[in-house]
Amino acid sequence: MSPSLRGITPQTLAAAVLRLREFGILLALGAAVAFFTIRAPNFDSVGNWQGIAQNVAIVIVVGVGETLVVLTRNIDLSVGSIVGLTAYLSAATFAHYSGAPLPVVALIAVAIGLCLGLANGLLVAVAKVPAIIATLATLAIYRGIDVQITGGGNITAYELPDRFLKLASTKPAGVPTLAWVAAGVAVVGAAAVRWAPWSRDLYAIGSNPEAARFAGIPVGRRVITAFALSGALAGLGGFLWASRFPTVDAVAAKGFELDVITAVVIGGVNVFGGSGTMLGVALGALLVATIQNGFTLLRISEFWRLFFNGFAIVVAVTIDALVTRRLQEALRRRRAEALAARHLEAGA
Amino acid sequence: MKAAQAIAVRLLARWETLLVVAIVGAGIWSTTLSPFFLQRANLLDLLTPYIFIGLMAFGLAFVVIAGEIDISIVSNMAASVVCFAQLYAAGVNVWLAALIGLGVATVLGLVNGALVSLLELPSLAITLGTLAAYSGLAYVILSGEGVASFPAGYSKIGGGYIGKELPIALLVVIALALVLGLVLHATRFGRYVFTIGSNREAARFSGIPVARVRMTVFAVSGLMAGFAGVVYVGYFGSARADAGTGSLLDVVTAVVLGGVDIFGGAGSMLGVFLALILVAELRNGMQLANIQGDTQDIVIGGLLLAAIIAGNLLRAVQGGRIRVGPLRLARREVVEHEATEAIIASKLAPENLKGR
Repeated sequence: MSPSLRGITPQTLAAAVLRLREFGILLALGAAVAFFTIRAPNFDSVGNWQGIAQNVAIVIVVGVGETLVVLTRNIDLSVGSIVGLTAYLSAATFAHYSGAPLPVVALIAVAIGLCLGLANGLLVAVAKVPAIIATLATLAIYRGIDVQITGGGNITAYELPDRFLKLASTKPAGVPTLAWVAAGVAVVGAAAVRWAPWSRDLYAIGSNPEAARFAGIPVGRRVITAFALSGALAGLGGFLWASRFPTVDAVAAKGFELDVITAVVIGGVNVFGGSGTMLGVALGALLVATIQNGFTLLRISEFWRLFFNGFAIVVAVTIDALVTRRLQEALRRRRAEALAARHLEAGA
Repeated sequence: MKAAQAIAVRLLARWETLLVVAIVGAGIWSTTLSPFFLQRANLLDLLTPYIFIGLMAFGLAFVVIAGEIDISIVSNMAASVVCFAQLYAAGVNVWLAALIGLGVATVLGLVNGALVSLLELPSLAITLGTLAAYSGLAYVILSGEGVASFPAGYSKIGGGYIGKELPIALLVVIALALVLGLVLHATRFGRYVFTIGSNREAARFSGIPVARVRMTVFAVSGLMAGFAGVVYVGYFGSARADAGTGSLLDVVTAVVLGGVDIFGGAGSMLGVFLALILVAELRNGMQLANIQGDTQDIVIGGLLLAAIIAGNLLRAVQGGRIRVGPLRLARREVVEHEATEAIIASKLAPENLKGR
């Protein structure tokens, strides 16, 4: 066996690609920052960076949950509606009981999100409805429930207690509270997918659902868990949304799912399932938010944002697929070479 | 006697029969809501506001039967509508502009098709991306304002009547349904679509030009989005960049409720047409019952889920295992058998033998 082949396993090769991927996003981020710093006045100011951090925070919180789902080769389109619904419910709770403790309301929002996510999970794992169809339907259903509850009305910032609004406006150590929360969620998420056995199962399911089943992984239960967690984090996202955008009505967070999915896909989570990191997702979200912020400062039409989001998804998916394919081919060649070498040794 | 019984059972077990029953049921419900429901003019006009949804559903049906999905279809319609409107506003003849709109829609569909079939990318992620991208494109092209003064001669295509009662749009949708039904069920291309949807590998090994057919399927979906746009402008008399936003649910529901297998390989144009009638009837009925649009979405969303779950249960009862996993895992023995025969027949066709 030639020395160059020693020590290279599929795992190290895949890990190298992922690191390359994160490096690539960092590079793009650096390029974007450099470009906007030169072109846009005020881009490189503390205030602007704090704004970016606030914008990116909710995307990261919801994106961590979405990642768990995408890892299993599924997708959750309903997060936009869950965020909207829980945002309204959180705001409504504060409007009615201005003394309600923050953690309790947050927990209620998370619990509601969990239930909605659970429904998605059951539809996908038990009723065997393809995730895209199931969550397209619940996207409409949850939004419909939201409209029912709001009854066309809205809640304004004046009705909400100051301590809730402060959640978005305070900046401990110069970093907005929202960003601290997002960082916490991302770190916990990263630790979970790195070390928790159940989340390693998610990768296995995404890589090969049939093989995962044969390996004795409770596929259905894990998929349900992923959807439930995605819903729960969307619930937390909704709670944060209400403090960030305190005028909440029935169209809150409409279309937000596209922002989240863009961040996740750009962050290198493979839409075929089975690969992706939370660091990548956080960087992806940051890249999207930075570019959008730069667009705003340069007074580029809001409408290009939508186009950019979609374009970025297509480009990221294309690059991912091409790289994955090259990687698989390289691995196959290597295996064949190794096999041939072993045969030669045995013959000699 | 036994044969008659078998035929009766098979007819009853057909998805289309269930749809007809549901349509009659929804019709009875509607008559209890309004005595005007059963009037001829009302019945003929029932579909008119939903024609553009039906046209998109016809296009999407091809894609889904081929085992893929195209959720960008609604923003494709918006983009083509906007191109059409801007050209018209710039002084181009309205029919020529409409024709160019169709071309734009087809090209946008082809872009999806090229990415999916040539680069072998997942249609779900690609069309999710182009859903946003085309919608952004529509906004950028229209730059915010709408175009709203189309000539009366043109608007007839979406909102005009023959003899005061027969909507022209209804004729358009029936004509296109017939043409597409023939293409899907009576041409070699149609059989290829079914075969690729049931088993792409097998299709490849039997010499079907898989990449070309899959690209064509997305082009058909784009073209139908274009036709939907033409009718949409005719009906609403205006072109806005958010045209068709929110109709994705209805389009997908019409396709799935129409009995098209979401995993590919099975479906019929008649089913999609019947499902369109059912969706239109339900929306119309809920309108009569004073149920708001977003609340209607709850019902339609539930219907979509119910249709898939019912399909899964039906398969489970019929002895087959419920299938798992994402799209494109389907296998329909009957269709496959027919398709294989079609392939053999086409292989033996004189024009194909000549080249060898």
